[in-house]
Amino acid sequence: MRVPILKQGPYLIASVQSALTDQDLVQLRDELADRVGKSRARGVIVDVTVLDVMDSFATRTLRTIAHVIRLRGAETVIVGIQPGVAFAMVQLGLSLEGVETALDLEEGIAVLNERLRATSGAVPDGG
Amino acid sequence: MADVARPLSKEAGITEEEFARRKDYLEIGPDDIDRLKRMNEFAQEYAVPVIDEFYRHIMSHDESAAFFRDPRVLERVKRLQVEYFKRLTTGEFDAAYAENRLRIGAVHEAVDLPTKLYLGSYAFYLRTVAAKIREAYRETPERVLDSFLSLLKVVFLDIGLAMDTYLVRRERTIRHQEEALRELFTPVLQVRPGLLIMPIIGPIDSQRARRLTEQLLAGIRQNRARVVVIDITGVPSVDSRVANHLVQTVQACRLMGARAMLTGLTAEVAQTLVNIGVNLANVNTVGDLQGGIEEAERLLGYRVTREDGTPPRG
Amino acid sequence: MADEAQYAIRSDTDVVFVRQAGRKLAQELGFAGSDLILIATAISELARNILEYAKLGEVRLCPVERDGRQGLTVIAEDHGPGIPDVALAMQDGYSTSRSLGLGLPGTRRLMDEFTIDSRVGEGTIVTVTKWIT
Repeated sequence: MRVPILKQGPYLIASVQSALTDQDLVQLRDELADRVGKSRARGVIVDVTVLDVMDSFATRTLRTIAHVIRLRGAETVIVGIQPGVAFAMVQLGLSLEGVETALDLEEGIAVLNERLRATSGAVPDGG
Repeated sequence: MADVARPLSKEAGITEEEFARRKDYLEIGPDDIDRLKRMNEFAQEYAVPVIDEFYRHIMSHDESAAFFRDPRVLERVKRLQVEYFKRLTTGEFDAAYAENRLRIGAVHEAVDLPTKLYLGSYAFYLRTVAAKIREAYRETPERVLDSFLSLLKVVFLDIGLAMDTYLVRRERTIRHQEEALRELFTPVLQVRPGLLIMPIIGPIDSQRARRLTEQLLAGIRQNRARVVVIDITGVPSVDSRVANHLVQTVQACRLMGARAMLTGLTAEVAQTLVNIGVNLANVNTVGDLQGGIEEAERLLGYRVTREDGTPPRG
Repeated sequence: MADEAQYAIRSDTDVVFVRQAGRKLAQELGFAGSDLILIATAISELARNILEYAKLGEVRLCPVERDGRQGLTVIAEDHGPGIPDVALAMQDGYSTSRSLGLGLPGTRRLMDEFTIDSRVGEGTIVTVTKWIT
């Protein structure tokens, strides 16, 4: 299932709607990399609230997304990892080192706003 | 009755095969059954006096008498004992019999009857019965010892069953107590909006580590925490396993968007962890809980000032 | 009790399908809370291993009972190349290629019991079980 990507102010928001296959994840990665340049977004939020499994492939792909987006000049925040999912991930030995995380969409936007304020001094209008 | 009792044999792992194996190991054979059945006649007669003597003994010692403060309980137990005494000499030891004996162990565990009293009372009971057997067989004294030994086999079968449920139930009780303790001693406290502290007291094993982590993660979501301080001053020994659990807890917090700090690592513990190669590079550690809270407040943008406007320290 | 079920693993959609089926079965057996997530994640990793190293195989989900306790056993079997050094593969941080390990040590931590039988040129069977606590 494709993940819808919405533009909100200077940010792109990808809200995962249901379980994702590897193919879906790869597609999300490519689409975000493409859209972030076209839309000149300053930040990307991937909302994974609905996911009840984050295995090695999903984690690795999210990390890749964050790295690619950074090379494209924007920041990524992964939001909505559920308590049980977080626990399973660390048991499995997976982490999102070097990737910003936040509790939910609201917190994610706050994190990006802080970042933006720190780097440019400008307060975005979309937050 | 059987419906209530059946889970006990399952709980204690006493299948029908296992029960048969026990009887086989005790060498309970047709001769024993025969001797027991023959004793049934006088058992009917002596059941009440034997049990009366038995309880006179129990009631003459404070420690054992304490279990029968309620006279109604005493009456009921005496009645059941009379039934049991008669039952012993019917020579039928089936599944229902086993269930009944298993129940005894569960009851003893529930009232916390010390095993010394159980076994001590049993010894008295056997002496009383032995005297009755001798009396009944005074014409044929050669039958006394054989009959008593047959009875003894069944008694050991009986004790074995009761002890097994006693132990199974005791283990369960201890497990429950441990669980209760775990819950009791790990509060997740919100000291300011966005800031949680979790003081851990007592040893950490993988089970407890999991529980603590789950509690903390649920707390993060519920309180929308952005910083958490985990204080391990009360954890007696921090080895590499415990340290790895803590690292995982810190990582899990981070996945939910909260920064976690560890406080209360002593100098020795820190040294040990470095020596055994535990990677604490990504874990923010602060000396003590107070320092941890101050650091957390700083991260959250709080600034503590006195009412008169002077800074709190220096 | 629920029956044993068998799932062929041939593509990434099968991975999603089998872990969802496993989660549902675990729930029916009486597992709750984060155990469901741990089980689903373990199944996902095992199915993924099949896909990655053997291309195809199967995952079986079996309700089990021992000493009155209910559990779920997951058996992941393939006829792929096999693992030359199982002990090495079970070490944390080991990887055969790229940055991704076999994920077997991690999968072991998610479950209560773990056994692996692998023969080079014949295939691999990983059996894991989780018990209701």
